[in-house]
Amino acid sequence: MFLQQLVNGVTLGSTYSLIAIGFTLVLGLLNMLNIAHGDIFMFGAFLGLSLAMLGIPLYLALILAMLGAGILAIIIERLCFRPLRKAHFLMPLLSTIAFGILLQNVATQIWGSEPSRYPQTTEVTQFQLGPVLVSSIDILIVAISIFLMLGIDQFVRRTRFGRAMRATSEKAQTASLLGVDINRVIIFTFFTSGAMAGVAGVLTALVYLQITPFIGIRQGLIGMVAMVIGGVGNLRGAMIGGLMIGIIEVMNDAYFTASYRDIILFGLFLIFIVFKPEGLFGKKER
Amino acid sequence: MSVYTQGVVALMGINILMALSVYAIIMTDQVSLGNAGFMAIGAYTSAYLTVKMGMPIFPALIIGALTSSFIGFLIGIPLLRLEGLYFVMGTFGFGEVARTFFMNFEPTGGAYGFRGPVGATLPMIYGWVLALILFFWLLSHSRLGRSLDALRDDHEVARTIGLNVTVLKLGLFWLGSFVAGIAGGLYAHYMFYIESGNFHILVSAMAILYVILGGMYTFWGSVLGAVIFSILPEALRFMEDWRLSLYGAVLVLMMIFRPSGIISRQIVRNIEDWIGGIFRKASV
Amino acid sequence: MLEISEVTKNFGGLRALNDISFQVDEKQIYGLIGPNGAGKTTLFNLITGFLPATEGSIRFLGNELTRLRAHKIAKLGVARTFQNIRLFGTMTVEENVMVAQNIRARSGITSLVQFFSAKEKRFRDEVNELLNRMGLWEKRKEQSLSLAYGAQRRLEIARALALEPKLLLLDEPAAGMNEAETEDLLERVQEIRDMGKTVLLIEHDMSVVMGICDYVAVLNFGELIAQGTPDEIQASEAVIEAYLGREEG
Repeated sequence: MFLQQLVNGVTLGSTYSLIAIGFTLVLGLLNMLNIAHGDIFMFGAFLGLSLAMLGIPLYLALILAMLGAGILAIIIERLCFRPLRKAHFLMPLLSTIAFGILLQNVATQIWGSEPSRYPQTTEVTQFQLGPVLVSSIDILIVAISIFLMLGIDQFVRRTRFGRAMRATSEKAQTASLLGVDINRVIIFTFFTSGAMAGVAGVLTALVYLQITPFIGIRQGLIGMVAMVIGGVGNLRGAMIGGLMIGIIEVMNDAYFTASYRDIILFGLFLIFIVFKPEGLFGKKER
Repeated sequence: MSVYTQGVVALMGINILMALSVYAIIMTDQVSLGNAGFMAIGAYTSAYLTVKMGMPIFPALIIGALTSSFIGFLIGIPLLRLEGLYFVMGTFGFGEVARTFFMNFEPTGGAYGFRGPVGATLPMIYGWVLALILFFWLLSHSRLGRSLDALRDDHEVARTIGLNVTVLKLGLFWLGSFVAGIAGGLYAHYMFYIESGNFHILVSAMAILYVILGGMYTFWGSVLGAVIFSILPEALRFMEDWRLSLYGAVLVLMMIFRPSGIISRQIVRNIEDWIGGIFRKASV
Repeated sequence: MLEISEVTKNFGGLRALNDISFQVDEKQIYGLIGPNGAGKTTLFNLITGFLPATEGSIRFLGNELTRLRAHKIAKLGVARTFQNIRLFGTMTVEENVMVAQNIRARSGITSLVQFFSAKEKRFRDEVNELLNRMGLWEKRKEQSLSLAYGAQRRLEIARALALEPKLLLLDEPAAGMNEAETEDLLERVQEIRDMGKTVLLIEHDMSVVMGICDYVAVLNFGELIAQGTPDEIQASEAVIEAYLGREEG
């Protein structure tokens, strides 16, 4: 039973990790908080839904949703961040709050505020691994998440562009003096963060099987919690933080009362923000 | 006034109070995404006192607001040490903790909500609105208001002229949570029924939008923003569904082109000078 | 009046100030000079409580400043201006000066119901006098940032003076000024000393320093390389070396 919950927790947690990575990339790199991040997640989920309804196979829908969400993130950068670079730091934050509200309303108009069911497009097979029941969906989710996370991690660590990203995160002025195209780095970072959120959206929809235009709020928040616990700016921290949150959530529902779930999670968040804002793994360590 | 219009006007009053609660905190250059949490504390506390303990509404409101502001004070002490963005996240977290707390708290109904508080009338609500407008007006013309302006302009330089920035921030945070508590109490006693979903983070976000749209450098902006957002739905009936999109889009554009909002400080200055001029002429 | 003793400041691995010691006496105009990056502004930041000292002590009228927070230090009577003028941009000229009186005037919650009082009138007169003295009277209702550069500098000084400080720290007050403006500034600094205040000033321009300073301390790469009267400094080998190639004023 415990192992089963663990598996469920890891599955859920990997989606949280993806959201957290998106948050931490932008916050760690640019010191910007994109409040609309959760709504990008929601948008990705709905994009996947629409594509699946059109009969497009899952893996293709996933990729298209990822692209769509990434582009949405770039749009947000263009409207909420770029023009406000010289302004007071709170302005982009306020702008993303407004944009989030816009996204939620647009989604409500397009897809309705009632929960939308995710169509069953792939054969779901269950595997019995000892005492644990694992579905192909679970494996898919964890596999994709790990693949993407490792991909990003390696990219940031090993490639030239990755180094450019890290340089920009340290000191944007110096980086640009050294020939780094700051705008390109920023656009790419936003795209990646959005793409991660988009994938997380589709995968989460596969877990819960129904979505509303308002899921972004909670999932975005959880992603934020995972980010802070793992340490802002720390990719690995975000991954582990997400997994931890997923496990805690599932364990709470299984052994405790489901209704206390959010109090525990947000309480944890508050405690970390106040007493250990650098998270478990410290800030800005790539 | 029809019952329906009464409702709109009442909620407008509550919105003005919530906007002012956000404004109080913005005056010290911080943004709180958690005022709905303080609103909840004020609402549930005052409702419990009137319904379960038979207290008259006025003291209940005050005690409710004192409770929310006391918690605001406690939470503010560690939070205000944090850098701007982390402060926002912290208030975010607090707001959600408060909401989910009340969702589970049995004595005030838990997930079923709390039924029963009555007594808030339009005159009462607007009595508070006017009292607070007067307060903020006096504040903006006082030396304390000037200190706050300085703090907001440049909090480091503010220190060099002897201002205790930490105390000022904490004081205004206390004020913001107090006003939100009053708003919550009035809301509960007008609506007769409250449940944790009423204190969703969107409520905090909307209050922030009121302030930004109206003008975040003067308290009149908060009033105007709340009024506009309360009346607009009626005026924009024809595009009811897309209302929120419009708000969002207008605000994003506003941040780019006129971040100071509709009413800038200069406009207030000009209007006050003009009014002052009329008085002078009248007394001659 | 101001005693800097063995003050050291490290920023991680970087030693910005190393074992600096000197003393400023009452009513002196004391100059702090040195090439860019020598640590002069860092020292100001230490004195005014913006940064904590790694080692050493800074005593002002018997108070240990390294243990105090910035606003307390200002209350003790230390005022400063900044290298890149930092005025309160949303306020008018006179408001910038008025707000600096707040620690002496009634400026807490009771100030909301403060209407007419003799004390306020005196504060008002003080502001007017300062504005007049600094040649800012005509522009008093203008937005502070609309002033010309030289006027902005004078405003920053007026604001610092409104604190009624005993010690005034001026960070490159003559930067960006032409000869006439610099002359004017020097006169004003003398006047400030004549008002009974002590001035510690950072400057780049040697002519300014030689012109009005009673004593000078020279910093280079965080080290105090020379101290003395302007004439002594001018003749010092170490100083000439530090300013290699520069003509003394």
